[in-house]
Amino acid sequence: MLKNILKYSTIMGALVLPISLVHAGGHSTGYGPFPVTLQGYSGDKDNSVSYSGQVARHVLHDSLKVLAGRGDGGANSATLKAEMLSYFSGSDKNKAILAPVTKGAFVIKQGTLNEISSGKNIEGKFYNGAMMAWPGSMKGREVALHMIDRASIANKGVDAENGYNWPQLISKFTMGAMAYSQAVDNYLDEKLEANTKPNNKPYKDGKPYTGKEHVWDEGFGYFGAAAHTLSLTADQAYGIAKRKDMASADVNGDGVVDLKSEMVFGPAYYAAAFDRSGTKSTSYLQTIMQAYFDGRQLITSAKGAVLTNAQRSSLKAHASTIESKWEQVLAEAVFKYAGSAYKDINKMQEDDADVAKEYKGYVKHWGELKGFSMALQSGRNNLGETAGTMNDLILFGPVTLDNSYVTDVTSSGDFKREKRMTWNDYQLQLLKVQQLMVDKFSVASRVNDQLADLGALAEMLGDQSNAETD
Amino acid sequence: MEYTEIFNDFLSDFIDPKKRIFVGYLGLSLIIAYVWLVAVRRSALKTAHAQIFNHKVFFSKSARIDYKLFFINRAFSLLVSPLLITQIAIATFIFYALHRQNIVHSGQFSDANKTFVVALFSLSMFIADDFTKYFLHRWMHRWPVLWAFHKVHHSAETMTPITVYRVHPAEGILYGLRSAVAQGIVISTFIFAFGNIVDLYTIVGVNILVFFFHMAGSNLRHSHISIGYWKFLEHIFISPAQHQLHHSVANEHHDKNFGAALAIWDWLFGSLHLSEAEKDITYGLGLTESGPKTIGDMYIKPFLDIYGILTLNIKKVRKLLFLSSNEKPFSNRFGPKL
Repeated sequence: MLKNILKYSTIMGALVLPISLVHAGGHSTGYGPFPVTLQGYSGDKDNSVSYSGQVARHVLHDSLKVLAGRGDGGANSATLKAEMLSYFSGSDKNKAILAPVTKGAFVIKQGTLNEISSGKNIEGKFYNGAMMAWPGSMKGREVALHMIDRASIANKGVDAENGYNWPQLISKFTMGAMAYSQAVDNYLDEKLEANTKPNNKPYKDGKPYTGKEHVWDEGFGYFGAAAHTLSLTADQAYGIAKRKDMASADVNGDGVVDLKSEMVFGPAYYAAAFDRSGTKSTSYLQTIMQAYFDGRQLITSAKGAVLTNAQRSSLKAHASTIESKWEQVLAEAVFKYAGSAYKDINKMQEDDADVAKEYKGYVKHWGELKGFSMALQSGRNNLGETAGTMNDLILFGPVTLDNSYVTDVTSSGDFKREKRMTWNDYQLQLLKVQQLMVDKFSVASRVNDQLADLGALAEMLGDQSNAETD
Repeated sequence: MEYTEIFNDFLSDFIDPKKRIFVGYLGLSLIIAYVWLVAVRRSALKTAHAQIFNHKVFFSKSARIDYKLFFINRAFSLLVSPLLITQIAIATFIFYALHRQNIVHSGQFSDANKTFVVALFSLSMFIADDFTKYFLHRWMHRWPVLWAFHKVHHSAETMTPITVYRVHPAEGILYGLRSAVAQGIVISTFIFAFGNIVDLYTIVGVNILVFFFHMAGSNLRHSHISIGYWKFLEHIFISPAQHQLHHSVANEHHDKNFGAALAIWDWLFGSLHLSEAEKDITYGLGLTESGPKTIGDMYIKPFLDIYGILTLNIKKVRKLLFLSSNEKPFSNRFGPKL
């Protein structure tokens, strides 16, 4: 009897297992593999997804951030600058991945950039319109190069006198000026037009993907999400980016995290970070990821034919969702770090404050605030007056310990601090930055909301519109 | 909106502990009234019962108008309240403005003892609310234009807890704005000085002090159960009897006891009148004042009165100008005509 039960259960198990595997495969929500749809393709590839160039650029960006903090105050400036430029502008040499690297049990598969993609750089894909947020009336790339130059002579990436934290400024600016800008102002914009990279031709001769497939994939690559993001919670995505959650990252179970598909990079990390904090009322990560996924499925469903106008307009609708949500994520970051800087100013003014320590934190948060505000100005939309107001409120540099702040830059790249502002006045400006993000971008997660306590108390006291009288 | 929702909204004040006519407070007022009449006034329970549920009071013409106004005013409030400036808007404005001074910085006292801060905030909120109520109420009596509106409330000839809603919508708006200003000022200054440790001590979601005010029988202020306190206490808290005296037609009671919960303001500003146990009080406007009589009157008459006041004043101004020009005739200024 027992033997029979065992026999039947084994048979049932053998039947059920493949069925469940097929079931799972049939409802895959991963971004890839997607089949090759290119008509007349004769190669041996069976997956048309490819965005390793974008992953390489995320890695270049993360590594550049590490280098930006390695200055020793001048002695190593020449070699450091050359090293930074080799990551920013590219070089023929195969470079080491400086970040992200293995951390404890979180083992990363690749150790050099060429294992991901060779010959890539950041500069070629960097926003190069006017950047009015920075002193000196420079263009986007000039600003980045100026920052790299200053980082190379700084001590551990910090210019305390002027209030700049270079790793933060470079990193956050790049997250917008490269990733966001390329995605929303290039791949998901003009490259979706009918006469650009059509879907009935290979993106490049010999490639297994069509024009539109690859355009969309590259747009996705810049977002920096893991391919299996639709099956992740915001907490898990956050844990992957922080190199803490190996189980969630290693989706294929090979014991290593493949940067090309399993890692979460900057833009997607911030989307997840706002979903899991603040008011917890947003779903930026999943909304953006779903739009990418649906867009890719739509292109795949065309089976290598030219996309109809209707298909392209639905694709553009997905692109528009991605753009508006991504923009909101950047605005959430501006909101958050304006709040952080506000709180840091309070901490610095406390009687028993360790001012040097608090100032360091303030400069770091301000760097993030400024970097993200510049990222926000690197997209497809000309923010116009909003950008002007935001820049006027945040200033070219933070109010420093002697209440002066950067007002200009000399022709040799040095900063001038010719005006002063009280802490209280600057805090008011930071509050107005938060209000601006609410008014113009409808931010909803609102981490570090400095007006939230007012609202909460007002709520508690209740509506008095029909107040009793005597 | 469904009809049931509208109905619920109309009656929501009865289940909202932030409102005076919350059933819990009404129930407690009832118990206090029984205890007062039986234990203090030595009435028989049956007599007390008859006195409390006096149908001549609850079904009087005046009370029936109160009930109708309760519903009509609720509708007004639903329409008008979204248009009023909120306490958050005022709080934000002041919070911003506080950054423009450099005596105290934001969060300067954020390391203060939390219990102390919460207690201070709860008390300050209560005092600011009560103080602004006193002054607005005083102005409602003293300024003819405002009195035209406030007369609606004082035209009640019998009083029930619902009489608290017998107000002209314009007065409701003024009280709402007053509350927004009081809350806006206190919230913003506390958050600016103490940061996020500021909180409110509450019971059933209500400021603990407001809760005790209502628990102490606030509904009896508008009733015919005349409860007076000891004299010393009537200098601190307004007793129901003191407020009933405020509604009296007698000349010596006019413009007395404007206070809501605290009598301190009346005491400080010379409008305090202690309760008089033996005196029968007639509520209303008296013979010298023409008050609204019908529902329509309640809404329209104040505007007609105001029109009257304004025309009278314009006439006065004209007369004054005319007189002054008579005093100095043109010809006199330049000497006699030749």
